Amino acid sequence: MAPPNATDASVASELPGEPPLASQSTKAQTSPPPESHQSIWLRRAAIISFWAVAVLLGLPVWWTTTAIYRAELPLQDMTDWAEGKVCKPVFPLRIAIEAPASTQDTAQLVRLTQHAIDDLNDFSAHHLRLMPAEPAYAANMSQEVVVDGTTIRSDDKDTVLVIRLIQVETGGTPRARLQKYSPTLDVYYSAAQLPTQSANSSPLASFIAQELQTIFAEEQAQLAYVLAAQPGTQAARVASLSPEKHAELDRHSTKVLKYAPTYHLTFSLFSPSYAPSAWNIEAALQTYLAPLLESFSSISNFTVDTQVQLYATFSPSIHAPEYEETTKAWTLRKEDLSGFVNAAEWPLSPSIGEGPTVNFIVYVPAPSQSPLLVKESAGNSWLVPQWGGVHILNLPSGSSPDALTIDDLAPAMHTFSDQLTSLFGLSQVPSSLPLRISTLERVRAASLIFSASSTLGALAQVYQKMPSIPVPDNVAQSVGSTIKHLHQACNHLRDGRFQSALDHARLAEVEAEKAFFERSMVGQVYFPDEHKVAVYLPLLGPVAVPLVMAALKELKGAIATLRKR
Amino acid sequence: MLSSVLLFVLNAFVAVAAAAAASDYHEQLLLRPLPQDTLLASFNFRSNESQAAFEQQNFRYVPRSLGQILQHAHTQELHLRFSVGRWDAENWGQRPWQGSREGGTGVELWAWIEADTEEQAFARWLTLTNALSGLFCASLNFIDATKTIRPVMAFSPEGDHRNAPNLHLLHGTLPHEVVCTENLTPFLKLLPCKGKAGISSLLDGHKLFDASFQTMAIDVRPVCGLDDGKCSLEMEQSVDMVLDIARSKRPRDNPIPRPLPVDQIECDTSKGYNAHDTCFPLNKGTEPGWSLEEVFGKPLRGSCPLIDQGEELGSVCLNTPPERIVEVKTTGEFGETRLSSDTLRCYRLPVGADLDLVLPEQKMTTGLVRPDPQLFAARSINGHGQERGSTQAIIKNPSTTESVEFVYLESLPWFMKPYLHTLRAKVSTSDESPIRETYYRPALDRQRGTHLELRLVIPPASTLTLTYEFEKAILRYTEYPPDANRGFDVAPAVLRILSPQAADKKGIYIRTTSLLLPLPTPDFSMPYNVIILTSTVMALGFGNIFNLLVRRFVGADEVPATGGLKNVLQAKIAGVKAKLGRP
Repeated sequence: MAPPNATDASVASELPGEPPLASQSTKAQTSPPPESHQSIWLRRAAIISFWAVAVLLGLPVWWTTTAIYRAELPLQDMTDWAEGKVCKPVFPLRIAIEAPASTQDTAQLVRLTQHAIDDLNDFSAHHLRLMPAEPAYAANMSQEVVVDGTTIRSDDKDTVLVIRLIQVETGGTPRARLQKYSPTLDVYYSAAQLPTQSANSSPLASFIAQELQTIFAEEQAQLAYVLAAQPGTQAARVASLSPEKHAELDRHSTKVLKYAPTYHLTFSLFSPSYAPSAWNIEAALQTYLAPLLESFSSISNFTVDTQVQLYATFSPSIHAPEYEETTKAWTLRKEDLSGFVNAAEWPLSPSIGEGPTVNFIVYVPAPSQSPLLVKESAGNSWLVPQWGGVHILNLPSGSSPDALTIDDLAPAMHTFSDQLTSLFGLSQVPSSLPLRISTLERVRAASLIFSASSTLGALAQVYQKMPSIPVPDNVAQSVGSTIKHLHQACNHLRDGRFQSALDHARLAEVEAEKAFFERSMVGQVYFPDEHKVAVYLPLLGPVAVPLVMAALKELKGAIATLRKR
Repeated sequence: MLSSVLLFVLNAFVAVAAAAAASDYHEQLLLRPLPQDTLLASFNFRSNESQAAFEQQNFRYVPRSLGQILQHAHTQELHLRFSVGRWDAENWGQRPWQGSREGGTGVELWAWIEADTEEQAFARWLTLTNALSGLFCASLNFIDATKTIRPVMAFSPEGDHRNAPNLHLLHGTLPHEVVCTENLTPFLKLLPCKGKAGISSLLDGHKLFDASFQTMAIDVRPVCGLDDGKCSLEMEQSVDMVLDIARSKRPRDNPIPRPLPVDQIECDTSKGYNAHDTCFPLNKGTEPGWSLEEVFGKPLRGSCPLIDQGEELGSVCLNTPPERIVEVKTTGEFGETRLSSDTLRCYRLPVGADLDLVLPEQKMTTGLVRPDPQLFAARSINGHGQERGSTQAIIKNPSTTESVEFVYLESLPWFMKPYLHTLRAKVSTSDESPIRETYYRPALDRQRGTHLELRLVIPPASTLTLTYEFEKAILRYTEYPPDANRGFDVAPAVLRILSPQAADKKGIYIRTTSLLLPLPTPDFSMPYNVIILTSTVMALGFGNIFNLLVRRFVGADEVPATGGLKNVLQAKIAGVKAKLGRP
């Protein structure tokens, strides 16, 4: 008879007091008595119950105590936003037409001009919607007209541009003039140029359409550039950009500062010697910069600080200025301009508090090295992309005053306001500043929506690809509120309320960044595998070996018994 | 020997220096030879910024980086100290600036912060420490609640705080911090002349941190004019160092001291053991010769042009007996002023030209009297074992006529738990208790440290012994630093002398040295050992019970022949042998 199983043999050999080889040395083999059915089942039950405790109790306890909390995130929504499937930004610009002529005439003019504009426009996401302006005196009586969207108040903050039709008798007509400090286009026309009720075309209408097209060409190019960079945008919706324009916008976008609700502007006076050691910067800022910052206040807040730093030497990595006989000037090489700001020694640390710091540097060269110019262009100022600007202030030869007056600082301040506008992403055209700022609002709103969306997409990817990082609940909350604000921003854009769209896009961006840069997610606890082995093996090894071996033997025995039968 | 004696009037010098501070930037270096061939160099830089310009963030002399930190943390007055070494009061006498510009070993910071509530003040304090930590490359961010106290009597504001009602004083120390060159570089960057001109051009990390004692201080306070009421922010930076002249004169390329060849050593032939191979160096009784460039390792690069050039007093002053020979070496124009019966010589520096002061080796017949400090203080840890210990502070009043009243401040870490009932203060000359007032805030584990403040009086010519016992806490495994067996630093005690009163608002301070507290340290492989041991016990128990339950026991003669490790191995070996034997 075959032995019941191998277990019995090995146990027997370990019995105390019995020499292990005794059984083998004796030739007379006696078989153990057949095992009772009950004892076999008892043994099996014991093994099964051990396994049951290990699997049903041990594993779940281990699993739950070592699990990492991961809040549920709306991954599909997040990916959809990142791929641009949810929101297709459109920019319906409302333009009010103020005309002294009768309502019917104006309506006809608006209709014709709208046709002309629609014919000219090949960029479907950006379209101009003309509306006859409601006369101011009728504002209270015609509420229902405003509601149905066919007319518009010209002082409405969502009106992008007001076209004022002015009838004149003299001068070439039609002609147009864009006001510099208000979003108003004055169009001068003669009475004969007004379209009649039955006319299908009018020179005035096509003139206005043409004029509007030129005014908004730059904005369309910028928006097209922003949209084109976004995945999921159909090529058809985007107006085609010429390669030159695209390259220019590319350059432009690398220069521009990342959007922030607050910017710190730092104005620094650097001098290689001890003079000048004072400057009338307070008055200069008040005169030259305060108006500009005032007009930017709808987009961001600013803090301004200034400092004077003496004994500022050049970094040893750049070439010393060389004297050029022909121009009687000291020159800096163009390739050295990037190393001009000696970051190691000049105290240009970022300001404390939220938001990036923009540095503007006035460098007054030593009298022995004055005037100091850039070799290639003979210029004395340059812009450092996303960082700030530098202006070399060459004082009249021979003078080395202890303090700089407001007149000395004027050229530097003009440079800085130009640099600030271009760092800010403000285009050079059109000439109306409010119009440029409102263009910036739309571009910023669109790019913020895209950047918040792509942050969401990145977060979704991180969530899926790194299963070991914990995700706390507030990340899920931030994601929820990002999506909410993105929806609102998108809706406001569609309705042409750009200021509110920008506000919501800004909030969405802040929330998205908060979710992505959640600290408890970044600082994940790192347990190397060796560490886990070292902790688990001393307990699990000695326990698992008998468990597994017993189960295997029992299985083997059971199979053998079955075969035998 | 020194035949006559001249009186040194430090206070007069300080008064003159303060009066000259009319301009917005001012700097002063005072050099004073001390006994044992050492030299005290006290650098002082003071810059002013009007309150209006400061609030508008137009920074000129006060650096922008520090100014913005102060504004951001709503700090009205700031005192920051970096110190290394010990002031040897027995030999060197009174401390520079009466100890008011000195800190305990490591880093010490205290500030008056404007806040509505204590919580807000503490939050701003954390902002301040974190920002300063970045600015000065020091671990100031480790000043947390356990290292912060709110002193009651030991400090009072130096500035004029008329329009800031809700001020909170917070004080933190880092006795373990090692002060080094990386703290000096940002310190110099805060100066308008950046260490490139003026007396700051002498400051060099190699010499400064090689000194027997050095302390760097930054003090910012608002100052209001008495007559016009105009306020300004005054920032004072000072460096005090005691250089060992012989040590400092070692050339940088050969810094290891080596004995001179035998024939160059002058031996004291009067010694009985003097022979051709033994030599006792001859004490010539002369003052060693030195020059600025030798001692500081760098030349003095003329004057910082931002200081008021019309100022009467020069910016480098030398405090020596009048007979000491001083040669001035410069190519530029300089001025010399003599003060306090010629014991103080001040030099106005040339602009743009180096200046060097050379003092040759000279046998002196006169010396200067060094004023004694009002108190001598020393503190030590007594006791043995891993559980208990006691602290003993010995404070001596050298004056034979005046009794001294002072505040004794201790800021102890939470893991050093004093028993207040064991606090004993004993004066050698009387049985009366010297303790006038006690302020005690006990520690909470891992939340705050002990804060003990005592107001004490010592009668003339007596010694006060202050003792208390403490218990050492056992820390958690993760709370030990990497070098746990070195011990834990305990911040120096601060003594502020209340009477006799100081001449100005800065006060008179004395600090003891820091203490090294050995705590019981565990074996750091312990957790793994615990895991192994418990696992082994559990596995043993489990194995036995499991085997008893699932194995079948049979008689020894009933064991089947097949199976068993030995048989299996034998069969395997036979198989291998057969395979090898075949070819």
